Amino acid sequence: MKKSNRNNYDIIENIMGMIPFLFILTMLIFHLIIPAKTFSTAEMRYLVQLPSFNIEKVLNGSYGTRVESYFSDQFPFRNFWVGVQAVSNNVLFKGFNSFNAEK
Amino acid sequence: MVFSSLFFTFIFLPVTVLLYYLLGKNLRNIVLLIASLFFYAWGEPVYILLMCGSIIINFCIGILLGRYDTSRLIRKLILILGLVVNLGCLAYFKYLGMIISTIESPVLPIGISFYTFQALSYVIDIYRRKNTPQKSFVLFALYITMFPQLVAGPIVNYNDIELQLTDRSMNIKEFCSGMRRFLCGLAKKILLANNIGLLWYEVKGMSVMEVSILMAWAGIVAFTLQIYFDFSGYSDMAIGLGKMFGFHLKENFRYPYTSQSISEFWRRWHISLGLWFKEYVYISLGGSRNGKWKLIRNMFIVWFLTGLWHGASWNFVIWGIYFGTIILIEKLFLQKRMINWPKSVRHIYSLFFVIIGWVIFEFTNLTEIFAFLRIMFGIGGNPFVNSQEIVKIRSYAFLFIICIIAALPWVNKMALIFKRNRRAIYTLAVNLYYCVLMFLLTGYMVSSTYNPFIYYRF
Repeated sequence: MKKSNRNNYDIIENIMGMIPFLFILTMLIFHLIIPAKTFSTAEMRYLVQLPSFNIEKVLNGSYGTRVESYFSDQFPFRNFWVGVQAVSNNVLFKGFNSFNAEK
Repeated sequence: MVFSSLFFTFIFLPVTVLLYYLLGKNLRNIVLLIASLFFYAWGEPVYILLMCGSIIINFCIGILLGRYDTSRLIRKLILILGLVVNLGCLAYFKYLGMIISTIESPVLPIGISFYTFQALSYVIDIYRRKNTPQKSFVLFALYITMFPQLVAGPIVNYNDIELQLTDRSMNIKEFCSGMRRFLCGLAKKILLANNIGLLWYEVKGMSVMEVSILMAWAGIVAFTLQIYFDFSGYSDMAIGLGKMFGFHLKENFRYPYTSQSISEFWRRWHISLGLWFKEYVYISLGGSRNGKWKLIRNMFIVWFLTGLWHGASWNFVIWGIYFGTIILIEKLFLQKRMINWPKSVRHIYSLFFVIIGWVIFEFTNLTEIFAFLRIMFGIGGNPFVNSQEIVKIRSYAFLFIICIIAALPWVNKMALIFKRNRRAIYTLAVNLYYCVLMFLLTGYMVSSTYNPFIYYRF
């Protein structure tokens, strides 16, 4: 009885420990499922689209940078995450975040 | 690719982990090698050829050292060849502009200081017969390129990792603990270093006459915290990522700001670099065995090089010699007396000289260094404080408190006591904490733009 308790405990511990990684996987899957948006009404700007493959751009490094900004622009539930950051920054700077607002 | 980017955390990392564990045991090292090459090529699509060249040459040097096992002269010549090639490459890309000021220095390849030192550690360990040459090219290439520590350390000595390349155990518990360590490092970088760094950024942007004494101190203390969380955060991420793939890398930081002397500070700060210089330079020169003058000479060489390693600028050399001198004074005169000092005095003494050190580290020219030191010590006639700045410093108060607590071992110590007595609640609390952290970090990563690490310059 005691041994099976111990086993159950280990299983629960492992599942809990895996949550952050499962979260990362879920976001990746969401990214693949949700179609890319072209315009953000919250930010009033066009979002970066997946760049076309071009060997010259790969060699000067701009392709990689472009893919990274595509991914961050198209991140699942982007506006929600920006909100999370704003709230947390408010707590961190105790409401004095006006001069950090542009960051 | 930086660890604190969305692309790394949400695409590169999960894809690598899945391939690593799903493709089976035989392909693991190859998956890791290809992922590491991809990781490097992402930021340095051209200089990856330089790194590959370095891998091939050092692999061949290892094989040659093994083949000419009996001839001392040939072994020595091969070693010299290895040193010349590795250090020559580093000198060309990193220090050319510093040595010949008329020449524009080439772009610094990412991580060259780190992987060159790893390659040197391999060649010297083989020469000293501490290890046998690596026969597998894939494993040797993996040792040099492994992406967790490739671009900003910790510097892994070949001797420490040789066995792990072929035989390492992996399980869910280790994987989860590695993931938590990674998140801990990510939080240090994104939540603490980046935010506290904003204050220093503002102080640096002010003109010399504007800054008050208090603001100057607040700014440099902010930088003191920023550089610690930035760099130790990177090391935490590297150690955590290593653990996720079954590697055990050595610790690189042990609460350096709790040190009671400057010698102790350097045993707790960037441990892998300190050990590298001790093992391959200080001991090779004879260490402290040959009398006082040789000791002084050896210390001078080691600290000159330690400073120079940090960047191709004379302020880093001054910074290195500054610490070397203090450590020498401690070694020769202070050590015995300091035991009688109260603990708090020793602590303040260490922090004071560390903070002054960061001023030398952060400003690249001497006039700026002296101008800032003059403000800090009230020589420039700047006001002690002005009301506008008080508001600014107060807005950072909460963050300062969090940073200071995070730089001390107390929370960890309390958590360990809690773990012993209330295991179940501890597990629940820790996992909940990391879930919240993951949530916050995603928010920050989505909101922030590209944000490179300070240590990328080296």
